[in-house]
Amino acid sequence: MSSISVESVTKRFAGHTAVSNLSLQVPSGGIYGLLGPNGAGKSTTIRLIMGILQPDEGRIALFGPSGSGSGRNLSSRIGYLPEERGLYKKMKVLDHLVFLGEVKGISRAEARRRALVWLERLEIANWTQKKVEDLSKGMQQKVQFAGALLHEPELVILDEPFSGLDPINAQVMKDIVVEIAAGGRTVLFSTHAMEQAERMCDRVAIIARGKLVANGTVAQVKADFGGRHVALGFSDNRPLADAVLADPRLIARMDDYGASAELKMAEGAQPEQLLAALVNAGVGLRRFEVVEPSLHAIFVAKVGSDLDATPLPVATGAAA
Amino acid sequence: MNKTFAVIRREYVERVRTRAFLISTLLLPVFMVAMAVLPALLMRGGDHTSRVAVVDASGAGLGQPVITALGTATFGDSAQVRPRYELTLFTTDTEHLDQVRSGLIAKAGFARDTQPDGWNGVLVLDADTLASGKLHYYGDDVSSPNGMGRLQREISKALAGVRLSHAGVDQALVAKAMAPADVDTAKVTDGKLTGQSGKASFVLAYAMGFILYIAILSYGSRTLTSVIEEKNSRIMEVLTSSLTPFQMLMGKVLGVGLAGLTQMAIWVGTALVLGSQGPHLAGAFGIGAAAGNFAIPSMPPSLLAVFLLYFTLGFLIYGSLYAAIGAMCNTIQEAQQYAVFVTMSIVVGFMSMFGLINNPSGMLGTTMSFIPFFAPFTMPVRWSMTAVPPTQLALSLGLMVLGLLACVWLAGRIYRTGILMYGKKPSWGELWRWIRA
Repeated sequence: MSSISVESVTKRFAGHTAVSNLSLQVPSGGIYGLLGPNGAGKSTTIRLIMGILQPDEGRIALFGPSGSGSGRNLSSRIGYLPEERGLYKKMKVLDHLVFLGEVKGISRAEARRRALVWLERLEIANWTQKKVEDLSKGMQQKVQFAGALLHEPELVILDEPFSGLDPINAQVMKDIVVEIAAGGRTVLFSTHAMEQAERMCDRVAIIARGKLVANGTVAQVKADFGGRHVALGFSDNRPLADAVLADPRLIARMDDYGASAELKMAEGAQPEQLLAALVNAGVGLRRFEVVEPSLHAIFVAKVGSDLDATPLPVATGAAA
Repeated sequence: MNKTFAVIRREYVERVRTRAFLISTLLLPVFMVAMAVLPALLMRGGDHTSRVAVVDASGAGLGQPVITALGTATFGDSAQVRPRYELTLFTTDTEHLDQVRSGLIAKAGFARDTQPDGWNGVLVLDADTLASGKLHYYGDDVSSPNGMGRLQREISKALAGVRLSHAGVDQALVAKAMAPADVDTAKVTDGKLTGQSGKASFVLAYAMGFILYIAILSYGSRTLTSVIEEKNSRIMEVLTSSLTPFQMLMGKVLGVGLAGLTQMAIWVGTALVLGSQGPHLAGAFGIGAAAGNFAIPSMPPSLLAVFLLYFTLGFLIYGSLYAAIGAMCNTIQEAQQYAVFVTMSIVVGFMSMFGLINNPSGMLGTTMSFIPFFAPFTMPVRWSMTAVPPTQLALSLGLMVLGLLACVWLAGRIYRTGILMYGKKPSWGELWRWIRA
């Protein structure tokens, strides 16, 4: 059963199309990553799923094909962390969490109890009686994160949950997301941090300029991308490698990081040929490994070449 | 319903907790007390016993009756009656008048601490006075219209008495004839006495209208500001994913309204206490009976009920309109362009009260109490000043409820779409589409 079913959805804003004929199936359970560069239409897609925006064309169903209700009506089953974080600045942290719980339909006493547990877990229990505006941005984000999960929703939708967090806080949040999925619930989150998506997600969808460019389990996306991939690490004489790496008979495309590189072999070329060529050229190698393509490489390959050409939408909140 | 209640509670608690709420709640009663007490305190300055030298050069024995008449004038309340004038008679003749007068004037007009036996005024009665009524007063208080009016009244009385007795009328009869009229006003409603004076009704009506005006203008427009703040802080997106637009709208308007009502209750309560305890409080301030004129009359329960009913309905109508405007706009400056229309109708309603005070049952008053935007102002005023037929009250309330439903429906439609619209403000055409959608 699909938790979320997006069918041929199109959403236009004045001047541009934010989402174009997009179809997604988010199965029940597990972690689903919505990947894409800035302005790809991730947030618009999420807002459409939440029912905050209405699609111009197509259809969105939640919790199975019969689930005709939009995100607004089913809100008690969904936890939502918007990309634009917003809290009442003057409210005390605990009061705010209780309020967020109450508007999701849980009782005041229960909301209070759960809020205290969350604040403890997120290591902001000392800030319970402080005003939201006194908290750092990262702490505010944690409060809002807790607010989205307070009612124990079966579907959790997080728009860029890790952006702006330091590694320690990002780790805490990641653990919570993994735990939710392990409990059989569904998590959909958007990101442009590929390494994290690759490590966490069961399934991903990559979108660019409002269109779906890759979709499926991580293994599937990698298999679909195809080709043989080689990871290189240079020890010395890096410049000598340039001529070899520029040979289109050997290399189809390359992600160059300077001291290391990820390559896609050209059609028909063998990794052994590349290794021989590099050794002959006198390049010092620290690493030479035949690998699966990383999501990052796939992402860059699919949308990277014209990443700069991707039109950034006008800075209106609804179109971001 | 529980969700709406959560929104109401949040709006209410967060508002009532603020320092601004506390300060404004305290400041208005302080202001009210100051308004009641200050004029009395200021007027008290004029209340002291004046030492007046009466120079009688009339040759007709005019001095003594004038002194008798002025001597009966007193001020202060029953606890502490003090004579208004301390009088000394100097009888002289026309030849010596100038000399006596100059001598007395030379000792007049000094501050009391520098010249304890000086005069506050010198009153000169000459030979013409009895016939022409013309006399002269030289004093330090001639620029006080109150004091001079009083003096003139007392002397006129004395002159009339002397003239009458010279004409052979019995002195006792004169005293009886001269007893002043004392008009005591009382308001009648439905053929029954309400126990209020005409002045009391006026004060009450004016005060209520003013409170309503301030409340709607400050609290109603606060819903506008608060919607815009929510849009700008992007909390709106979390709220829309949990609440229906109607819940958000009603919760906000009711929560803000309740906070307003709380403040009103504190103010009206203060006013009632001031009214009923007026004389005691006045005593505490040491201003005596003068404050009695400014005491706020006690409020009859029916008027209180009408006032609260119209306050609530009026507030909800204006509050939802303000919220809808907030939903349409992104900045307060932008919203003010639209809010002007709403504010204008509040001002018109408020201003109409002044017209009503002259003729509460006229065409204007009756018509305006059927228009939901104005009725919250006109109806309580009319109720306090005149007997409003029950059918009119029922019709007016019915129209208010209909108007409220229409406004809330309209605002809800605009709210639904508007709260998530950032960027440019909608054209009238777009607005129409939001409402129809």
